[in-house]
Amino acid sequence: MSSNPPTARRVALVSALTLVGLVAAVVCGLAIGPTSIATAKIIGDVVSHVGIGHSSLSPLQSTVIWQLRAPRLVLGLLAGAMLAVAGGTYQGVFRNPLADPYLLGVAAGAGLGATFAIVDIGGGLNTPTWTPLLAFAGAMVAVAFTWGVGGRGLHSNAATLILAGVAVSALLTSMQTFLQQQSSSNSIARVYIWLLGSLASASWRSVWLVFPYVILCTAICVLSGRALDVMSVGEDESRSLGLPVRRVRFIVIAASSLGTAAIVSAVGLIGFVGIIVPHIVRLLVGTSYRRILPISVVFGAAFLVFADTLARTVMAPSELPLGVVTAAIGAPVFVIILSLRRRMVR
Amino acid sequence: MSNVVVQDLSVRAGTKVLISGVSLDIEPGTWCTVIGPNGAGKTTLVETVAGIRRASSGTVSISGRRLEDMSERERARVVALVPQHPEVPAGMTVADYVSLGRTAYHGLLRAPSAHDRAVVDSVLERLSLREFADRDVITLSGGERQRMVLGRALAQSTMVIVLDEPITGLDLRHQIELLDLLKSEVAECGLTVVATLHDLTLAGQFADRLVLLDAGKVVLDAPASEVIRSDELAHSYGMDLRVVDVDGSDVVVPVRSLRH
Repeated sequence: MSSNPPTARRVALVSALTLVGLVAAVVCGLAIGPTSIATAKIIGDVVSHVGIGHSSLSPLQSTVIWQLRAPRLVLGLLAGAMLAVAGGTYQGVFRNPLADPYLLGVAAGAGLGATFAIVDIGGGLNTPTWTPLLAFAGAMVAVAFTWGVGGRGLHSNAATLILAGVAVSALLTSMQTFLQQQSSSNSIARVYIWLLGSLASASWRSVWLVFPYVILCTAICVLSGRALDVMSVGEDESRSLGLPVRRVRFIVIAASSLGTAAIVSAVGLIGFVGIIVPHIVRLLVGTSYRRILPISVVFGAAFLVFADTLARTVMAPSELPLGVVTAAIGAPVFVIILSLRRRMVR
Repeated sequence: MSNVVVQDLSVRAGTKVLISGVSLDIEPGTWCTVIGPNGAGKTTLVETVAGIRRASSGTVSISGRRLEDMSERERARVVALVPQHPEVPAGMTVADYVSLGRTAYHGLLRAPSAHDRAVVDSVLERLSLREFADRDVITLSGGERQRMVLGRALAQSTMVIVLDEPITGLDLRHQIELLDLLKSEVAECGLTVVATLHDLTLAGQFADRLVLLDAGKVVLDAPASEVIRSDELAHSYGMDLRVVDVDGSDVVVPVRSLRH
């Protein structure tokens, strides 16, 4: 793509700008909403929690910030970071630019689990206990099934695993469609809302439930950057260079899938972040996963919070589906960066 | 100095036998080239010696240790591979590509050490790749690219190096240059080389020993000058071959039969 791999200076600049974007996203996530609260007051309140100065927020404003916006912001950061880094990791381990975190059946399995919870257990309602639990279980069973079908055996390779993922996804999606078809229109509407993804039901409980998974799995994905760089020369050559390909593949797929399943169980199926963010980062900092993955964590977190801020404000008081917003922002941003990059290369 | 011992090696793909009952004992510091017609099993043999293909039966040992008893990391410190069709990942610099050869030393979680960087620097220097170090690998010419792939293998600091058709796609000058470069590394570092080559003249000129493989079996295993003059060679290729002396070097010339 480029005749000159990016310089360390450019990587540092992109990293710094991404961090600035993250700070801006955090400020937007806390400051923008139906209840108008001055940004300075919010910042004053935040620093007062570490013993500096005094908060000037009213009790109502404090509740809005700490019980509504903050958990939603933190869950958005965790979801964006996890989906972006999992997407980048999948693209590296499968050496496939079209890979995303849902490649091995996470989405289909979670969709089936959530649909079962809403239609058959919740009686048409999205229950806060069963929906995430069965979505998580469905996602993990789907990935385990995919691995069992395509990832084991002497001649298994990345292509076999992808094909197994396609087959398992198709099977589980057909089962989910059958369940939906048998249910009421009210249930179908609830299922669709879940499928499109949303941070609206975020709470500190949901944050703490996904937090350990996201931290652990993100750390494993980021640390796998060097291994994924080696894998860019193919499985046979990687093995000849000393890489335990099967073990690495198992660990990074397990980490990406587990983290994605945890996030999906909490926020539903948010599309596009996992595929578009690593590509945008790749265009900016080059092809090394040692750079792509950590920057994707920060970029993905900021991106999803910005998208959520738009989703909940553009048509307030109603909300746009988050997955629609991520695609509506991500696609043009990607095209713009792609065309700028081409111009720079010329 | 490491010797390579192949004992009664057989490799199958499904029900098809690719090589069968191959045994070799390659002395340390020897350049051994495997020759034979297409489909003879040359690539299968060298890939198994490099440890990236499993044997169906039999063993490959280097310095007395069986490859199957080694981890990937241990094996990568013992034997390096220059594949026939290396993958060249766009966007990677030449220096980073050569550094991949140090993976088995610094591992996956640590950055290359000062020693790793020194080894890579030395390889870049010896292979005249220094001026390309920061270039994207896909911008290199065929000859430069093959030198880079050889550089990655040399950066593994192994005593055994396996090359599968390393001069495929190179023009005559670059073919000789690459083989000369390898020859000087062999002389300097005492490397043991196991290679495959289609060009019988170059195979004869550069190898100490030739192994003629046909239909997965060793037909002849002898000093190079002996193999290129053998009837078995002509028989395996199914055509007449002449060996001509040009300024003291053997040149193998195929003779088009009048029957055709």
